[in-house]
Parts: sequence; structure tokens; C-alpha cells
Amino acid sequence: MGIKLGSSGLAEDLGMAGRDELQIVSFNLGEEYGVPIGQVQEIIRIGNITVVPNAPAYMEGVINLRGRVLPVLNLRRKLSLPANGTTKKSRILVIEIKGKLLGTLVDAVSHVLKVPSNSIEEPPEDILDKETDYITGVCKLPKELVILLDLEKLLARENGHEGGPDLQPDAGVDREN
Amino acid sequence: MDYSQLLRDYLDDAEECVHAFDSALLSLEDGGSDGARTEVINSEAINSEVINSALGALHTLKGNSGMMGYTSLKDFIHHLEEVLKQTLEGKLEVQAGLPPLLEGSSIIKKALQDIEKSPSSPPELNESIMDLESFLANGSSEAPRREILDLESYLGARTDTVKVSFNKLDDLLSLAGELVITKTRLGAIESAMRESGNKEEAAVLKEALESAEKTISGLQEGIMRARMVPVGTLFRKFTRMARDLAGSQGKKVHLVFQGEDTELDKTIIDELAKPLLHLIRNAIDHGIETPAERRKKGKPPEGRLTLTSTQESNYIFIRVEDDGRGVDPEEIRKKAVKKGILKEEDTPQEEEILDLLFLPGFSTRDESTDISGRGIGLDVAAKNMARLNGQVSLHSRKDEGSAFVIKLPLSLAIIPALMAEAAGEVFAIPISAVEESIKMDEKDIHLMNLREVAMIRDNIIPVLRLGGFFNLKKGFFGGGKLYLVIVGRGEKRIALAVDRLKGQQEIVIKPLDESFGRSRGISGASILGDGRIVLILDVPGLWEEGFLSLPRGAGLS
Repeated sequence: MGIKLGSSGLAEDLGMAGRDELQIVSFNLGEEYGVPIGQVQEIIRIGNITVVPNAPAYMEGVINLRGRVLPVLNLRRKLSLPANGTTKKSRILVIEIKGKLLGTLVDAVSHVLKVPSNSIEEPPEDILDKETDYITGVCKLPKELVILLDLEKLLARENGHEGGPDLQPDAGVDREN
Repeated sequence: MDYSQLLRDYLDDAEECVHAFDSALLSLEDGGSDGARTEVINSEAINSEVINSALGALHTLKGNSGMMGYTSLKDFIHHLEEVLKQTLEGKLEVQAGLPPLLEGSSIIKKALQDIEKSPSSPPELNESIMDLESFLANGSSEAPRREILDLESYLGARTDTVKVSFNKLDDLLSLAGELVITKTRLGAIESAMRESGNKEEAAVLKEALESAEKTISGLQEGIMRARMVPVGTLFRKFTRMARDLAGSQGKKVHLVFQGEDTELDKTIIDELAKPLLHLIRNAIDHGIETPAERRKKGKPPEGRLTLTSTQESNYIFIRVEDDGRGVDPEEIRKKAVKKGILKEEDTPQEEEILDLLFLPGFSTRDESTDISGRGIGLDVAAKNMARLNGQVSLHSRKDEGSAFVIKLPLSLAIIPALMAEAAGEVFAIPISAVEESIKMDEKDIHLMNLREVAMIRDNIIPVLRLGGFFNLKKGFFGGGKLYLVIVGRGEKRIALAVDRLKGQQEIVIKPLDESFGRSRGISGASILGDGRIVLILDVPGLWEEGFLSLPRGAGLS
């Protein structure tokens, strides 16, 4: 079933107010991304994913999480990154957002990290605009950069931008060309 | 519904009304003298809001009391309303109106207590009514003071019901549903243990599981029952509407209920309200004749409209039957030909002709009334029922009357479904939508107007390949054979082409997360005993959003 993590939704982790370190779960999508550990309920292997026809392309499908029909989001598609099939390393992060559970499909889970807050920088301005406000910071580690995501903001985007050109099914594929 | 239940409901309701009335009066009393409220700038506006809430409470109580046959109590409450209205209109000082109102509240409480003790003897309140009349006439509070009533009257009637928000029951039900699934998983563990040689432990586990199973199904049933409401609560809402609507057209209608104590899940009752409204309106507008017309036909001048509710196995049937002019199939046929829906040479069955009435914008009367307008109601009713996996049908005889029959699954949460496999995926098709299923040769599917169709007993039915429609990998058509599942009815029938049928099964409906958007043709998901998820087909959706809007030629293999 995978690693079971603390399920307490530590909202304050997001803000890091008064803390000198942040605990994140980092995962790979070609680049390293991270989310606060408080949002992650558990990490599971991908079992049978039932595809929902005619759904938005970034919705991978549904899985049975102990009797619950859990929606699964394909994070690569949602972020308009080039598509990459699932492998043995692929995992689903079960995240709680606004009291609802959502699975997010990632290439691999890398680490659970404690990062000192002084290593976290505001995202560089040239990559930041209204469309990418879900990037909350960049974590500079000795060997790599981890992009911190605010999944709640990322998901909120789907309502405002439904059908927008960046969310078209093949948007990610186009970039490869 | 038996009378004692009705009485209990009435008393429970009355209790609440009196309480609301009391608190309104008390806050009026406060508003006049309470120094802390001097900051309130517009006390008049607040007062009128409070008075309106008191009026609302009284009005409900008055209506209920009248319905229960407590006329004197009803009249008394009516006079209290008059007093309140005068204060609202400024004809009477609020403070001057309060004493008779407060006393009125005590009198109502006393009357309710008497009713609880002996329901069959309606309280007589003539004297109190006369007091109020003289108060209203003189504007003075000279009403003779009575001695303080029995102190216990302040406690009000005792109730044995608890109000629970429906959401809480809903949460409980889904928790119980999760228990059922956990139980299935434990069952799988038990058989795995048995197979791997741990026979003794498996036996112990099995025993524990069996007792858990009993508890779980008891729990589930109990919650389901708590969600049930007698259908009569809905039926009674139409009494007044039917009378007023008929009256406005110079008609007379007597509304009769049968089987009104049949209990239904509250979600179904809520969903039924509008479709029933449309059907009743339709019966009065188009079915019931004017008294003169009825006399000519030798019928009693007053029309009869019967609402019947019955339960048969897993279905509930609601019948809306009138003894009006009925429907003339020939008339509908002519109209359909005129509208180009039918051809002159077509010879549809009578049943199929009647089904035309459920098409959008189809009506039999040329001058539509201002109320139900061009037959929109029937279309809406049919659509709403389909959404609940139910159906509406019409049976009618010219000049004898019509009956609309609504057929619904007993529970919205659990439905029987036909499991069908297309392109390697299994889909659940609600049985209520399935007419029949047929094994067919691939070569018996023909192209007509660039759409695939099948001939089934002289009927041409459009074919929709599920695998193609859902953009799944190409289906496998073993030996050129496939199965057609005929769904929908009448004009809206389609044949869903699938590779295999996998039997019938009861499934628990789980909604899909809204992040999937409006997935065309899918109404929800269900988890099978082996843990697999199947998607549930939305048959009316398949027809409307899928098939009709699909470009011709799409969905072909």
C-alpha cells in the first residue's frame, strides 16, 4: 500500500510562519516538484485506473481507494508538461484539498525533505505571472532545485480556465515538437 | 397515513409554530422597553420583521388547524392575525396589542393540550374569539383578564420526534456503504486465508464476519428507513393547487389519494415534486372537462383526479389518473404528421403514438392554456424521471380518462444494473432503462444515412457502439457477433452495441467527482465486489448529449 504519512492537515506549513524549516514531499515530473507534507495523506502505487470517457484530458480516471471512488489527476497534463507514460516508479499522491481527497499521478516520489526556510526563494519573476501563481517558491538544495506547488491554486485554475488553450488535451504533446 | 401519525405531525408542527410566535412576541415586548436597544436606529423596520415572522407562524398553524378540522381554533388564530396586522399597519400600538396576543398564545397552548388529550373533541374558543372581536372593534385592551392557566401548559405538548438535518443522514448512509465494501474485502481475506491453509483462523474470521454482516445490513436498513418519508406529505401539497387551478378554469376537481402512506426516500420525494406538479397541471388543463361538458357526457360535474402510490418489488409506481376527456390517438397521429414527426403512411402502435406526447413541444390542444402551455410539462416530467432511472408512461381511453404512471427504483442509491463489456471496459447500464438485449451478427447492422441501424422486429433502431462513442480502443467483435442492448423507449430508443454481457447485479451508485466535468454519457461509478470500478451509463444523457449531437458517421467502427 505504500508509505502512510501523517494525515493532519498542517495548513500553517504552507505559510511557514515562525518556522525555520519546511517539510515537503518531493516528486519527479522530469523536473523536481514539491508539496508540503501536511497536504499529503498517503502515497500509493498505481493499481487499476478506470478511465472516465469524455472527461478533461488532465483527469487520468478513478481508482478504488478502500471503497472510495478517488479521482486521479495527471499532474503532467495539468501542468502542460510533455506526456510520459506510467512506469513501475509511478505513484499516486493522495492529497486532501478543501476536505476532499484527490489522487495526483506523478512519475516518481523522490524524498521526504526537511528544508531550511532560508533556502526557499520566491519564484523568479520572469517565470511568474498570473497564470503560474500556483508556484509558491523554489527550493535551492545543494544538488537540485525543487519547485514548490500550491495544489489548491493549481486546481482552482481548472474552473477559470476550462477549455483554455493551455488545457487542451494535446497541449503538452505540442511542446515536444 | 393513519390518523394518529397525522395528529402527531400536526402537534409537532403546532409546537414549533407556537414557539416561534412566542419568541416573536417576547422580542416585541423587549424592543419597547429594553434600554440596550436604543442603539437600534430603525426599530420600526425591525418590529415589522418580527411581526411578519409571528404572522408566518400563525398562518401555518391556522392552515394546519383548519385541515385537521379544528375550526374554532382556526378562527381564533385568524383573529390573532388580525391584531398583528393592525400593529403592522400602524393602526395599533405594538405595546397595546401585546397583552391580547400573549394571552392568545396561552390559549392556543391550552387548546393544543386539550387536543392531545382528546383529539376527537375540537376545542371551543368562541368566547375568546368574541373577546378578540371586541378588542379589534374598540382598540382597547379591556378584554377581561383570565386567571393564569395551568402552569404545565407552558411546556407545550410532548413530542417524540427529533429533527435531523438530511445531510447528517446522508453522511451516515455513505459511511454504512463504506462498511459494506470493507466487509467484502475482509471476505476476500478470509477466503485467501482458507486457501493458504489457515483453516481454523479462517473459520473464526468467517464467524465474526457473519455477525458483522448482520449488524451492517441492520445499520444500513435503519438509516435508509430514517430517510423515508410518506408520499402523502407530498400529495397533500397538491390539494390546494388542484382546487385553485381548476377553479381558475371554471372546472371542479376532487383530488383523491391512495396509498399515501407508502414511504419513499426523501431524495426521491424531493425529485418527484416538480414532475408530479406538471402531470397534475396537465390533467387539469387538458384532461378534466368543464362541468357543462362533463354533464353532456353523462359524467358527474366534478372531475376526479386520483394520486396513487404502490410498491412492487424494487419499484415504486405513482399514478396520476383523471376521469377526463382522455387522449385520442388519431388526433395525436394527425398532429405528428402535420409536424413532420410521422409520415402519413406510418402505422405506429397506439402505445408509440402516446409516447409522442413526451416529445419536447408536443401538445394535443390547439389553444394551449396560459398555464401549461404547449405541452412543455410532459417533456420535463419525462426527462426528470429518466434522470432518476425511472420512466413515465401514459395510458388513456378517449372520454374515459388518462393515467400517467411513473415507475421509479425504490432507492436512488442502489439500483439493479446490466453489466456490459465494450472494448475491454465494463459498464453498468441501469436495468430500468433496458428494454431488451439481443445477440446479433455484425452483418445485420446496416448503414442508413451514414448512421448505423439495426432492424429489430420491423423497427429501425439506431445503433451506438459504446467503445467507439467513448473513444476506447477498438472493440473486439468475436466472430462477427455482438450484443445490442436496447435502451430508452419509443422514439428515443437506441441500441448500444457491446462485445459481451456479464449479467445483472445490484450496484451502489457513487457520484463522480466534479473535476471530471460533465462526462457525456456517464452518470456515476460503482465499486464491484472484487474492488474494480465500473462506470454507470447515463442513458438519457447518451441519447441527448451523445447521440443527437454526434456528427453522422461518428461512432462507426
